[in-house]
Amino acid sequence: MQVSFSNGRYALPEYPFCVPPELSGAAQQPHPVAIVGAGLAGLTAACALAQLGVPAVVLDDDNTVGARGISSRGVCYARKSLEIFDRLGIYRRMLGKGVRWTVGRTFDGGTQVCEFDLASDASASRQPPFINLQQFYVESFLIERAAELGGVDLRWRNKVVSCESDTRGARLSIETPAGAYSLHADWVIDCSGARGGLAESLGLRRRGTCTDDRWCIADIIFDEPLPAERHTWVSADFNDGRAVWRHALADNVWRHDYQLDPANPEDIDEQAIRARLRRQFGRDVACRIIWTGTWSYRSECLESFRHDRVLFAGDCAHTMSPFGGRGGNSGIQDADNLAWKLAWVIEGKADASLLDTYTDERRAAALENIRTAERTGRFLRPASPAGKVYREATLALARHHAFARPLVNTGRMSQPNTYVDSRLNVGRGGGRSIPNLPLALPDGRDGDVAQLMKWAGGDLVVLVDAETDDLIALEARFPVRIVASARLGIFPEDHLVLLRPDLYCAGTFERGDVAGLEHALRTFTCTSTMTGTRNS
Amino acid sequence: MHIDDDWYEELVNAHQGLSDTQGQRLDAALVLLLANQVADLPALRACLHDARTAVLGLEND
Repeated sequence: MQVSFSNGRYALPEYPFCVPPELSGAAQQPHPVAIVGAGLAGLTAACALAQLGVPAVVLDDDNTVGARGISSRGVCYARKSLEIFDRLGIYRRMLGKGVRWTVGRTFDGGTQVCEFDLASDASASRQPPFINLQQFYVESFLIERAAELGGVDLRWRNKVVSCESDTRGARLSIETPAGAYSLHADWVIDCSGARGGLAESLGLRRRGTCTDDRWCIADIIFDEPLPAERHTWVSADFNDGRAVWRHALADNVWRHDYQLDPANPEDIDEQAIRARLRRQFGRDVACRIIWTGTWSYRSECLESFRHDRVLFAGDCAHTMSPFGGRGGNSGIQDADNLAWKLAWVIEGKADASLLDTYTDERRAAALENIRTAERTGRFLRPASPAGKVYREATLALARHHAFARPLVNTGRMSQPNTYVDSRLNVGRGGGRSIPNLPLALPDGRDGDVAQLMKWAGGDLVVLVDAETDDLIALEARFPVRIVASARLGIFPEDHLVLLRPDLYCAGTFERGDVAGLEHALRTFTCTSTMTGTRNS
Repeated sequence: MHIDDDWYEELVNAHQGLSDTQGQRLDAALVLLLANQVADLPALRACLHDARTAVLGLEND
């Protein structure tokens, strides 16, 4: 079942409802993990867990991909997310279907005030800075991948209505077309999106702010070619002096976002969009408008992303404005941070307190994303007279003064977050994301960091310049693989480099500092002595 | 160079013929240009603090 597109119309797959074993009387399996919501975060978590050998049941209240009504939500997939998808096995399909871009231009009226080219700061990762693709394609790829990996029990039209957590897990109450049932899982990952969320039924509060900023999406297919670049207007004459974005998507669709007048947030129809296009191009342009819809945003974050055995990921843990593509990308990166830690805990490789590092790392990332996105929001819709004055001064200067151009803020594109304060930063320089650099795999083949971590099967990897007996002995006591074949040019040649399954570096150690490394590994397993068993 | 009467007069006169809004934007542009010239974040933060303290009359004098 795939997304189909013809004559400017999308048909999204409709996945069948199957009567769950709890209602059909069939034999029931225990559920180590239940995931609520089959969006980007939930499906990424399901695939990541499946790849690590942990089965999960995924419950979704809908029976299709994307939001209802053929609207695409996420647009830009950032390098860090693409590196995760490469490891999970859908990157090639995204590359084949999506649009790569590196150039962004920002206009004020008819004048370009700044531009960037992300190709110029190539990190040597195997993945490009961005691929743009309608979210429903990405979700459909993940659904097919989950079926290939096996172990993912995807249940459509299973609406989770409440959750009770206990010390052994959580019980979910679920409504389906065939009736209601309840299901107990050892661990629950809530990925139910900005509107859903088990937080309320668990008595947890989200705190945040909202603004009066309102926008309208128009997804448009043009008959003539446009440059595959990100164009933003701080102030567009063709939108009554307000902001506009334009992004390329697959199938020659162009995502437009028009900032509306907050005092008069009209319901824009096709005619109003065509009037704007006529003003923009100075003539009638041949195009088909395939979707319009208005949206607004708010910033919210849970106090903790863990409540006993319920974990929160994606929009239900944190919502932010979409400026810079931080919504979908942060949900994907939440899921990937969580999956290996949860697998470790389930397999007895680490104490459950390892999961507190998920909250520490990803909540800090969420707050950083919220702060960054809010700054863009305040530039595009100044909240105070002074904000407006400085914005106009900045725009006036930007035309002739290079220093002012970086201050023009129409969205800071999503970057991997550095986990500054994580207790998993056990060595020097820990907490940074590692680009997916090419390297030699242990079997001698050419590969990259993502392939190396996939080979390690969820274990940590220590890159060493020579295997010694005391280093190899660590493999029997900790979930770690010692690898002498591969070097990464970004670290000192003789250092031990400790890599995490999510392509973060936990730090480097002086050559021969096996005691320091062992202490670090104990921090990861949250034990003073090894309690888990190593899988062969 | 001292900030002398000549400069003070130039600064005030630069606002001649401007609307309130234009005058505010002029000052803001000037602040941004000067900040770029100073290019010293601790010094700029100290200036910001001194300016607020003075305007709000919070100095202990």
